[in-house]
Amino acid sequence: MNLPAHKMTSAARAQHLVPATAILALAVTVAYLSHTREPAEAFMFPRLISNVMLLLALWNFVRAFLGLARVGDGLSTLTLLRIAPGVAVMMILVYVAAKALGFYVASFAAFLCLYSLYDPASHRSLRSWIKRIMISALFMLLIYALFSLLLKVQTPRGLYF
Amino acid sequence: MEFLQYFGGVFEPLSFMLLLGGTVGGLILGATPGLSPTMAVALLIPFTFQLPATQGLILLGAAYTATVAGGAVSAILLKIPGAPANIATALDGHAMASQGRGTQALHVSFLASGVGGVTGVLLLIFLTPVLARWALAFGPSHLFWMAILGVTVIGSLDSRSFVKGLLSGCLGLWLSMIGYDDIQGAQRFIFHDSLTGGINIITALIGIFAIPQIIEMLARGRTEHILRTISTGRQSLMSSLRLLSKNVRALSIGTVVGSIIGLIPGVGGQIAGLLAYDQTRKFSPDPGSFGKGNPAGVIAAESANNAMVGPSLVPLLTLSIPGSPTAAVLLGGLLIHGIFPGSDLFDNYPEVAWTFINSMLIGQLLMVVFGIWIASYAARIAHVPPPIMAAAVMVLALFGSYSVQQSMGDVYIMLTLGVSMYLLEKVGFSAAPLVLGLILGPIAEANFIQGSMIANAMDGPVDYFLTGPLNLTLVGLVLASIAWSYFSSRRSNQYIARASEQPGHASGPESGNAKDSPPGVSP
Amino acid sequence: MKKRLLMTAVLAAATLTGSVQALAEGYPERPVSMMVSYGAGGATDFQARIVTMMAGNEDYLTQPIVIINKPGAGGRVGWNWFATEADNDGYTVAAYNIPHFIAQSIEGGVKYDAGSFEPIANWGADPAVVVVGADSEYNTIEELLGFARENPGKVTVSGAGLYVGHHIAALQIEKAIGGKLAYIPTKGGGAAAMKAVIAGDVIAGINNLSDAYRARESGSVKILAVADMARSEEFLPDVPTLMESGFDVDNASVNFRGIMVPAGTPAQVIEKLADRVPAMFEDARVAKQMAAGGSPMKIMRREEVQAMWDARQKTLAELLAGLK
Repeated sequence: MNLPAHKMTSAARAQHLVPATAILALAVTVAYLSHTREPAEAFMFPRLISNVMLLLALWNFVRAFLGLARVGDGLSTLTLLRIAPGVAVMMILVYVAAKALGFYVASFAAFLCLYSLYDPASHRSLRSWIKRIMISALFMLLIYALFSLLLKVQTPRGLYF
Repeated sequence: MEFLQYFGGVFEPLSFMLLLGGTVGGLILGATPGLSPTMAVALLIPFTFQLPATQGLILLGAAYTATVAGGAVSAILLKIPGAPANIATALDGHAMASQGRGTQALHVSFLASGVGGVTGVLLLIFLTPVLARWALAFGPSHLFWMAILGVTVIGSLDSRSFVKGLLSGCLGLWLSMIGYDDIQGAQRFIFHDSLTGGINIITALIGIFAIPQIIEMLARGRTEHILRTISTGRQSLMSSLRLLSKNVRALSIGTVVGSIIGLIPGVGGQIAGLLAYDQTRKFSPDPGSFGKGNPAGVIAAESANNAMVGPSLVPLLTLSIPGSPTAAVLLGGLLIHGIFPGSDLFDNYPEVAWTFINSMLIGQLLMVVFGIWIASYAARIAHVPPPIMAAAVMVLALFGSYSVQQSMGDVYIMLTLGVSMYLLEKVGFSAAPLVLGLILGPIAEANFIQGSMIANAMDGPVDYFLTGPLNLTLVGLVLASIAWSYFSSRRSNQYIARASEQPGHASGPESGNAKDSPPGVSP
Repeated sequence: MKKRLLMTAVLAAATLTGSVQALAEGYPERPVSMMVSYGAGGATDFQARIVTMMAGNEDYLTQPIVIINKPGAGGRVGWNWFATEADNDGYTVAAYNIPHFIAQSIEGGVKYDAGSFEPIANWGADPAVVVVGADSEYNTIEELLGFARENPGKVTVSGAGLYVGHHIAALQIEKAIGGKLAYIPTKGGGAAAMKAVIAGDVIAGINNLSDAYRARESGSVKILAVADMARSEEFLPDVPTLMESGFDVDNASVNFRGIMVPAGTPAQVIEKLADRVPAMFEDARVAKQMAAGGSPMKIMRREEVQAMWDARQKTLAELLAGLK
């Protein structure tokens, strides 16, 4: 067996160690909060669960520390670079734009951004841009018909709509 | 056989139109992310104000049936379960769809729904008086053990890593406790204002399943090859029927589990699909193939979901106790027409009651026919290029999560949970146990606390939680389930260990020491 | 630079006030959302859907009212959202439950009190009743409470939650008999509490008159007493009040339901709503559907509701202070 697949490289081990530490920290926080907050009756169940969670998080941490955690491929730098712009668009849409600009305008912009960012067609041809805008507009019309007309959901209007 | 006399009512022109409309509309509403069957039925209630009682109920019955089945469409095609019931469907259904077998997945899903659904309604017709007593037998202690039984499934839902599966479940249980607690009204773990209302389960489903899905699509980058769509072979209805007949075991487990669990007020509908899925996997000769596009998973989950519909109405129709949120909305639909469900419902309003039940029976069949008809068209979603798909699902997730309670907080929670879930999945945690914890946490907690309060007024907790045949049976099932998942996880670990060593020893003898050496440690 | 910024701010403020006025005049020009802080299918939700069904009519609001459910923690989740996040432009209204939200604000831990909301009109009043299972050994309220007096903490009583009408009634009964009940709050509202009674999980229950009336019609419970000042002549003429049975329990636990808006809503909007909404409640079709569902109606105009809120605030503050 030359270079066994399950021999952990140090980079891969860090990939497991970082989240394991984060989850351990979370478990400690949850356990601390559960055991210190009042009223006690309301925290009876959280105490029980947080104890079990702390135990499991410790176990998971030890496994990651010893390099025994093998499930999951982690995130490569390439993947990270690929998803970063898209995730940024998603976050801006949800956390900022949707409420500030209005759901429909923000969604149209985000749809167009996501589509154009990952569309392999040329970014210089006018034709592909027209296609992109048409598809985004059509989809937003569909969403408007479904949510606003049919279901009467009042979405935040923000600056525009 | 009294119900046969009332079939005529279903086929009157207006009634049949409503039945058809309810089925088609229900399928569309059910397939919309963020719209659970409960909300869809609640949305339709105002329409029934204008209709006579019988027709109003036909519309509601058909819509209920169809939305439950419609949730499978978005679970299979977009990996967004429409309701908690469809989580198990998404596991294998979406895997099938991404292998280009979307049509087939939808076919078997609708066929299994039909079989389960018809069985459930027949149970409702013939066994209502017997079943009503069974539904009442479950007090807080039993419901607590039921929830724990559901929790034991967590350990085996994630076949990849035992610890991480359990830890995912614990995270879900913890997430379910965020917000005001329902009994004491105390605030727990509110780190941000959006969390005051707790984490809504439908919102969480959208975030946890849809967002990682979008990011996976983005991770393929901006390259030409991603435009090459999946080749979808010819998937005739006949081949789907053959597939169903090969999976009779999954179908019967799903139907039986769904019908029994569906009866239990407050727990049933949420976990029937997952329990059936889990049982089917445990009895399968090849448990490793689940989650990778095994049609048995879809069949078990969907037959259970729909088998639950009929029995879940038993406590409502005989005792006026709504056993599920949807049943509660249906109760409202009955009440506005001055019909009080109760033991004498079938004597006082035989026409309304039987026409309602019959419409659900016919509704199941219409749902199968219509579902199969749209399946091949709907499955073309798989041909949509990933960039458009990612953008579309993102916008749907935004609107869907907002419309659950018209709250911006829900939308923030949705994306935060989704992005965290993507990262967690990358290091081996899984979504299904986490969601199961999120669903079962409140049920387990509320019944545990109520049970202890009642126990304090009676003979103490040990006596209350651990005596009586039903308690003991459930505790036995819990222990059996834990033992089973422990042994099967050992078995599959050995399997993985052996499989991973085989390439190295291609010509060598079957390595005999795989059992003794800890898996993954290279010799 | 600073000057320009100031100018912009003034301009913005001017447009804003202008638009508020314009808004009030044409109100309502799009559908109005109504938040119900209990789940779909509960008594409040069900009644809210009936009383708002005629909103789109020319004589009432001319626009439909759409129900949004924000259930959780006995209503706290919904009312917190309503007090802190809802727009006060009249397009978001909410259903209120008295004594629930007032009792919760006195008990603390929430972001609202009676001052956070402006009542519009009241549509219903649902008194709490004491129920036992149909096969229970208790046939009168005296037997049940007599047993409870001798066995403090042994009588399990289910109700819809803590600091809701049912709980208030239980607290008042405890005070009247000078003993403890084992009050079991259920999650899932009145329906779950009723199930506990019918299934025999608890000895007795305190529930809504409307739900109990239906449960008795279907033969699953006995109703022992009403926690109100007078008997319910319409639905339960044969059931005595707690008061006439010799227990000092008044109507503080009666569940009043109505419509309110957040404080700070433009006065014109409130006026228009307060003018049109009671008429909408009085519509013959609404009355017919409410009666069919066994839901007692009590229509009160804005001024009456304001007086009722003030009165409840005083009684509850005394009651809860005395019981803590």
